[in-house]
Amino acid sequence: MTDLRRSLALASLLAGAFVTSAAGAQDWPAEPVHVFVGFPAGSSPDTIARLVAEPLAEAMGQPVVVENKPGAGGVIAIQQMLARGNDDYSFGININGPLTTAPRLIADLGYDPVADIAPVGLIATSPLVLAVGADFPADDVQGFIDAAAEPEAISYGSVGEGSGAHLTAELFADAAGVQLFHIPFQSYAEVTTSILGGEIDSGFMAPSAALPHVEAGTMKMLGITSAEPFAQVPDVPVLAGQAGLPDDFRAELWNAMIAPAGTDPAIVERLNAELNKILKNPEVQDRLLAMGWQAQPGTSEDLAERITDDTAMWGGVIDRTQAAN
Amino acid sequence: MTTLEGLSHGLTVALQPSVLIYSLFGALLGTLVGVLPGIGAMAAITLLLPITYYISSEAALVMLAAVYYGAQYGGAVASILLRLPGTPQSAVTTLDGYPMAQQGRAGVALFAAMVSSFAGSMLGIVILVALAGWLGRLATSFGAAEYAAMMVMGLVAASTIGEGRPAKSLSMVVLGVLLGCVGTDVNSGVQRFTFGQVQLLDGINLVALAMGLFGLAEVIGNIRKAERDGPPPHVSLRQLVPTRDDLRRMVAPIGRGTLLGGFFGALPGTGSTISSFLGYALERRVARQPERFGNGAIEGIAGPEAANNSAAITAFVPTLTLGIPGDPIMALMLGALVIHGIQPGPMMLEAHPDMFWGLVVSFGIGNLFLLVLNLPLIGLWVSMLRIPFRWLYPAIIVFVCLGVYSVRGSTFDIVMVAGIGAIGYALAVAAFSPALLLLGFVLGPLIETNLRRALLVSRGDLVTFVERPVACGFVIATAALLALPLLKGLRRRNG
Repeated sequence: MTDLRRSLALASLLAGAFVTSAAGAQDWPAEPVHVFVGFPAGSSPDTIARLVAEPLAEAMGQPVVVENKPGAGGVIAIQQMLARGNDDYSFGININGPLTTAPRLIADLGYDPVADIAPVGLIATSPLVLAVGADFPADDVQGFIDAAAEPEAISYGSVGEGSGAHLTAELFADAAGVQLFHIPFQSYAEVTTSILGGEIDSGFMAPSAALPHVEAGTMKMLGITSAEPFAQVPDVPVLAGQAGLPDDFRAELWNAMIAPAGTDPAIVERLNAELNKILKNPEVQDRLLAMGWQAQPGTSEDLAERITDDTAMWGGVIDRTQAAN
Repeated sequence: MTTLEGLSHGLTVALQPSVLIYSLFGALLGTLVGVLPGIGAMAAITLLLPITYYISSEAALVMLAAVYYGAQYGGAVASILLRLPGTPQSAVTTLDGYPMAQQGRAGVALFAAMVSSFAGSMLGIVILVALAGWLGRLATSFGAAEYAAMMVMGLVAASTIGEGRPAKSLSMVVLGVLLGCVGTDVNSGVQRFTFGQVQLLDGINLVALAMGLFGLAEVIGNIRKAERDGPPPHVSLRQLVPTRDDLRRMVAPIGRGTLLGGFFGALPGTGSTISSFLGYALERRVARQPERFGNGAIEGIAGPEAANNSAAITAFVPTLTLGIPGDPIMALMLGALVIHGIQPGPMMLEAHPDMFWGLVVSFGIGNLFLLVLNLPLIGLWVSMLRIPFRWLYPAIIVFVCLGVYSVRGSTFDIVMVAGIGAIGYALAVAAFSPALLLLGFVLGPLIETNLRRALLVSRGDLVTFVERPVACGFVIATAALLALPLLKGLRRRNG
């Protein structure tokens, strides 16, 4: 390369750098925005991401590309987002696990949810219902707790050690002062099949997973883990305050939008504002509810608080289960 | 609604021009992704999912379903011609399909694969319609004890499919089972053999393993032969036509394969890969001259191809009658239903008869179309063998990489497939059977999780495997399978 060419290349490189820095938050986004989703196309986190991505692209005048990077319960998508660096164009939509319990469950996580992630905003939450087979002797939570008086008499299925379903059941058991018998599965479909077949007694699952079987008369829902009754299954009583459970008993799965730490705060703020506009749209709320999710508009600080609170709450449950083993 | 009313109602749904066109499009796309190594129905359905927002729910499901069963047809093509399975379930078709192609009977092998696929699908539809209710109950009555006992039987029955000495075969099965252990243990959450690689937490990618062991290993093995790269022998039309003997040999394997596939397809969590492996094992077991297998026995194509197609049809039973998806592809289809506001579940047949019967009838139309599409294509596929190696093999490597990447968008898996390809070549040189490794890999984790789960459910009591009648049946059958060669040996010594 001649000197002239080299200096030209250097000049264009500098010019490029200048353009990018001058662009700043006002002209953002100047190119397509990438959103890394931790689950495959067609999964509920993916459907939620696409539900948000479309109006987001419209509002910002740039395409929003959903990148499915499934694996390790959502962790791989976060790693891939972080690997791109805080370029102001890489974001993530993911579930609670990789942001709260993952550091406790995966030794080589490669990131710290607090130091490496900038929360953008919560998108939606989903409670879990306590479901049992139609033949189960009790019809309410009190009856369930009574039936579980003898340690490990009642079994429950989860979608794996450390999963939301597992930790929720252990949280419940601890609050109710009983010992349940854990049998891990790989999917909610397997848990449902096993309850229907009478192999296991119960399981915490999404209301939409249990609902069709309740309508068919093969399952019962004894209670729900949200603070308020849930619109999709309004008749299912909240667990909080019932049968000696604390009034603040609450366990929810959630989906949220995140950015790598170091992303321009003005951009995070802009995204949060757009996200809230989308989540306040009744049509979006209805689509979310049809899938079993409640839209949750809020600030990025709300999400940060949620992450801290849930990390502490689930961390406590993990401590207790690991101590028991 | 009686079955006959249902079918005629389904016909009006499936013959709507929009539904019909999407069905044919899906079947065509399915064949294509089936043929391409590594790129399977999963990737195609994932890509099509956003389109389903904009078309009717019937058209959407019919199209996605057609991709799913269409891919079962295409998978055999590259297995037979190049020893390169298009999909993991057609890996077993390489065992006799490829030797047939090398004997200049590629056309007959492809014919056998297509006709068996068609017959397996059509008979699968009959099973679906006649036994949907019974198969649905079967799905919930099969607990962990039954799965564990059944899979052990499958592993014992199938571990003889390879060539060579038993010790070599056994070592491959064991290696497969060990590779299946990689990833997060379901029961304890402990990460096994992941070496700090988060990419390995969900285990080794099945597609990467199948493509590496068969496809890449074959490419590497052929590099040395590539210099003798003359035009392959001309294939005359005569060689495309099966003999009367070929046809006669295909009938019984198709029947057995269909029944086997129909059964495994309806059970959540088993599906078409296991069906095709066990279909092959079954044919080898019942054959009068088992030594013909591995050297181009047409039964070794007919049985497994009928089995995996039949399984692809009955896989819809738990999905449609219980709302329980048996595999990730079915879960994706349920996702498509939810997008359209249809909640899959036990009430679906009553609440959405259009969907159920329309889908069933579309299976028939789609499979008929696939047969008509694929039979004339045989000549074209065979002519693929005339492509010089120096063009063909780089193209294959590109497709394998694309296919492996398409599973979960991971570049790590591409590196994996390269490594597995090298190991696969070493195994081929030492005459170890990669099919057995794949078998152990597929069945091992199923046996482990179900065995441990069954013992959790019974609180550690081994009696559960004898107490439950179905599980006990499988245990007895396994014991018989193990005792049979022993008795034969004793009789030979005495006689």
